[in-house]
Amino acid sequence: MSTTQARVAADPTCWSCGAATGGEHFCPACGKLQPLPRGTDYFALFGLTRKLCLDAAELEKRFHQLSWKLHPDNFVRAGEYERELSLDRASQLNDAYRVLRDPISRVEYLLAREGMRKEGEHKQQAPPELLEEIFELNEWLDELRIARQTSSNGEMMALRGKLEAARKNFEEKLRAVDAELDGVFGQWDAALDAGADDAARKKLMTRMNELLNRRSYIRNLAANVQKELAEA
Amino acid sequence: MAYSDKVIDHYNHPRNVGSLPKEDPNVGTGLVGAPECGDVMKLQMKINPETQVIEEAKFKTFGCGSAIASSSLATEWVKGKTVEEALAIKNTDIVRELSLPPVKIHCSVLAEDAIKAAIGDWKRKKGDTTPAAQTTTTHG
Ligand code: FES
Repeated sequence: MSTTQARVAADPTCWSCGAATGGEHFCPACGKLQPLPRGTDYFALFGLTRKLCLDAAELEKRFHQLSWKLHPDNFVRAGEYERELSLDRASQLNDAYRVLRDPISRVEYLLAREGMRKEGEHKQQAPPELLEEIFELNEWLDELRIARQTSSNGEMMALRGKLEAARKNFEEKLRAVDAELDGVFGQWDAALDAGADDAARKKLMTRMNELLNRRSYIRNLAANVQKELAEA
Repeated sequence: MAYSDKVIDHYNHPRNVGSLPKEDPNVGTGLVGAPECGDVMKLQMKINPETQVIEEAKFKTFGCGSAIASSSLATEWVKGKTVEEALAIKNTDIVRELSLPPVKIHCSVLAEDAIKAAIGDWKRKKGDTTPAAQTTTTHG
């Protein structure tokens, strides 16, 4: 339970009057704008738990409400610290909204916060079947590419058809991954509601990681076909 | 992105592109990928079972210039080395040799992973199950 809740630093107090703020954006006692408590994640910033099936309209509503409250225009007559704070908070809010709005960047963010998505050098290799499949698809695309350079006009037509088919194929694969991801998002949210233990949550996150990896390989392929088609 | 001269040279004249028979008991195949960018790399080597010397190495990489250069360089380096010597090659050696910028480090990691995976595959074929050369490696 504790890890799924907004992680707010213990008892933050107001920088101006010293009252306990309870992690609110504004001090309940003096009304001054507060810095974001250390460790607050983007979900908590919007008053949300770390659920993945986010209602886009609800998120947008909260974003507009907050950006209105945090807008630097409201602080033109405030002290220097609060003015700067509002600038910081407004740009944080924009970052947070950009990340949470898109389901893929949202789950990537969640996994990064949970320490599950390793970037750079310490990463896990994808399963061999996936790599094999991706490698073969790449080889196939490569053959089409080479054929494109050496073919006559008539052959070009046929080749275009093949490339179009390839694009459809990759797009379908992408849709399938996205559908599967959606399913896991639902399971994740249900697990949070049920107060699932770390092991269960980890299992779901591992699955999400795998799907994200698969997605990125296929997206790369789809982008390459797109490039070929643009030049064909 | 400005590539170093060495990267451009490997990119324009990749060494040892191609493949070796996968079923050959003396051939190890390493297939690895980088989920960050979706690039994949295959590295194969033919290893003499008596001397443990890598007699031949081939690669095929679908990826950026740095990944192609890293794998090309890797095949050059492992040829004539023993399995133990090849396992000692670190991605940082490749980074240094090719003057790769920080954003391209993962491309060199791919090459190191591919060497380890290929040797791991060869050892598995030989019935050696020591986990020394698995595809999941950490780099320090
Ligand atoms: S950018 Fe993908 S391996 Fe270099």
